[in-house]
Amino acid sequence: MRRLPSLIAGAALLVVIRSAGLVAGASPSTSRAGYQMIRNPDNPIDAVDRQFLEDVFLKKRTAWPNGAVIQPVDLAPASAARRQFSDDVLRRPVDAIRSYWQQRIFAGRELPPPELGTDSDVVRFVLRERGAVGYVSNGAALNGAKPLTVK
Amino acid sequence: MRSASRVGPLGDGLPLGHANMVPQTRSFPIAALASAIFVAAGSSSVSASEEAPAPAASASGTAATPSAPHVPEAPLPATTPDVPVPPSPASSALDLDRSIPAAPIVEVHGFASQGFILTTGNDYIAPDTTHGSFQLTEVGLNLTKQLTDKLRFGIQAFAQNFALGGNFDLKADWFYADYRWRDWFGVRVGRLKIPFGLYNEVNDIDSARVPILLPQSAYPIQGRDFLFAQNGVELYGFARSRLAGALDYRLYLGTIFIDPAILVPPGSAVQLQLNVRYVLGGRLFWETPLQGLRIGASVLAVHLDVDAFAAGMTIPIVNRSLLSMASAEYATTRLTLTAEYALWHSAQESELASSNFTGTSERSYAMATYRATAWFHPALYYALYFRDVHNRDAGSTMRQNDVSLTLRFDLNDFLILKLEGHFMEGTAGLVAPLSVTPPPANPERVWGVFLVKATGYF
Repeated sequence: MRRLPSLIAGAALLVVIRSAGLVAGASPSTSRAGYQMIRNPDNPIDAVDRQFLEDVFLKKRTAWPNGAVIQPVDLAPASAARRQFSDDVLRRPVDAIRSYWQQRIFAGRELPPPELGTDSDVVRFVLRERGAVGYVSNGAALNGAKPLTVK
Repeated sequence: MRSASRVGPLGDGLPLGHANMVPQTRSFPIAALASAIFVAAGSSSVSASEEAPAPAASASGTAATPSAPHVPEAPLPATTPDVPVPPSPASSALDLDRSIPAAPIVEVHGFASQGFILTTGNDYIAPDTTHGSFQLTEVGLNLTKQLTDKLRFGIQAFAQNFALGGNFDLKADWFYADYRWRDWFGVRVGRLKIPFGLYNEVNDIDSARVPILLPQSAYPIQGRDFLFAQNGVELYGFARSRLAGALDYRLYLGTIFIDPAILVPPGSAVQLQLNVRYVLGGRLFWETPLQGLRIGASVLAVHLDVDAFAAGMTIPIVNRSLLSMASAEYATTRLTLTAEYALWHSAQESELASSNFTGTSERSYAMATYRATAWFHPALYYALYFRDVHNRDAGSTMRQNDVSLTLRFDLNDFLILKLEGHFMEGTAGLVAPLSVTPPPANPERVWGVFLVKATGYF
């Protein structure tokens, strides 16, 4: 029992350190397991952290730091890249995210990002919309879309 | 007259009380201050390319979002419907619109649910449930239109044959105009769902939760008509700090329409006139730095004036309530643990001494839901309800223990089937909030509830 306060303090410290990003985690990358983040080539922001992306894709944040509107776009729920993205960035499986959006839609709060069927559709969307952010399967042709690094 | 005297309290079960309310005029500066503190603490990390161009401002003329501290020196021109932006140069060589579905003019979503309830011993939620009842039907259809990046309209039509309300009378469940100026500040007007606790806003959204019946100690389904939505205004916002997590706040002020017909049994000699002077409240959630953990608090104050007409007499009744709830949720990839604790205080005054009272009920539950697979989610909760927190030993009619197990099956992306059983001890929940009907004369102390419900949604 004497060690309990130390354990609690240690756990609290770990939480702070982790939240501050002081623990070496996944190194910054544009390509993660099974997907890569992309942005419009006119978007000067080339790197964001995971939490920022989570907030964007859950519509908790609607603007880039410079005030420009963010337009997130999803792949279809059945795609492998969508599942990987959901697990990795949103930290919840796709069905949990669907449940989240059910709550938001029927509570009259917010609408989910558009879901597009293919990587090329997502690339086209990102090229068309200056504030767009999306993800495609690793190796998909970007056709001028720029990678977005996840720190 | 006895019936009339029972009207004012948000029930024996849903007390009303004196409100220690923060004046609405003070609410916004407090929220803004809180947001400003969070903003000052810093937000998530974002970086910009060095070679990026540096336009002076967004196309819409908006300043940088205060919730984001690391504003790059090269702002991205904003795309807003009122200030059209031509396609980016990289897109000009491609037929970008060729295969991208256009955004719908109006988003349409809907749901339909049909349930069955069977109880052993006591009628619960719907009439004659001891013989089984299909009076668990809900249908909803909503339309949402995003007019600009910041302005949105929405409306949901709803009909039900459920509990005290029924007959499929079509009504506007909610409707709103929503202007989200910044992530940390938005305003909504219309008929708005009341944010109270974790689940009040999804009390009738079967697809958004695992249990068929949310813990009735905290979310009494009989209270849907007066705890569900308010007509008025709401301020809301979200702000994240890199170190301290995120704050999500909601403040609202308005009134509630209560149909007297749901309070007076058919043929009653008593007639009621109800006027909710105001409903005022707020909810604050803190997403802690620990991934998946959020905690929050909700308060709701109601002032209700009731005129009861009976035998040529008019009896004015004034009822004030203050409802408060503390909430905690911890969600991992598969497991979600939630717990909430509430005190609902009510005070009622009238010329009829027998109808005057002051009381506080205590409501709590703990729940675990588990995503075993994408299509199978069980849930287990224990809920506890005392009609009088100061007299927990008052007997089984003044308390209710509820142990519930739910099995949810997602048959496909649009259809859900749920099976649910409750073991009940105590009968406090048989008294519907605001109900003028007396509790059953000889309720069974130990009883069970079994439900089946199918929901389709899109």
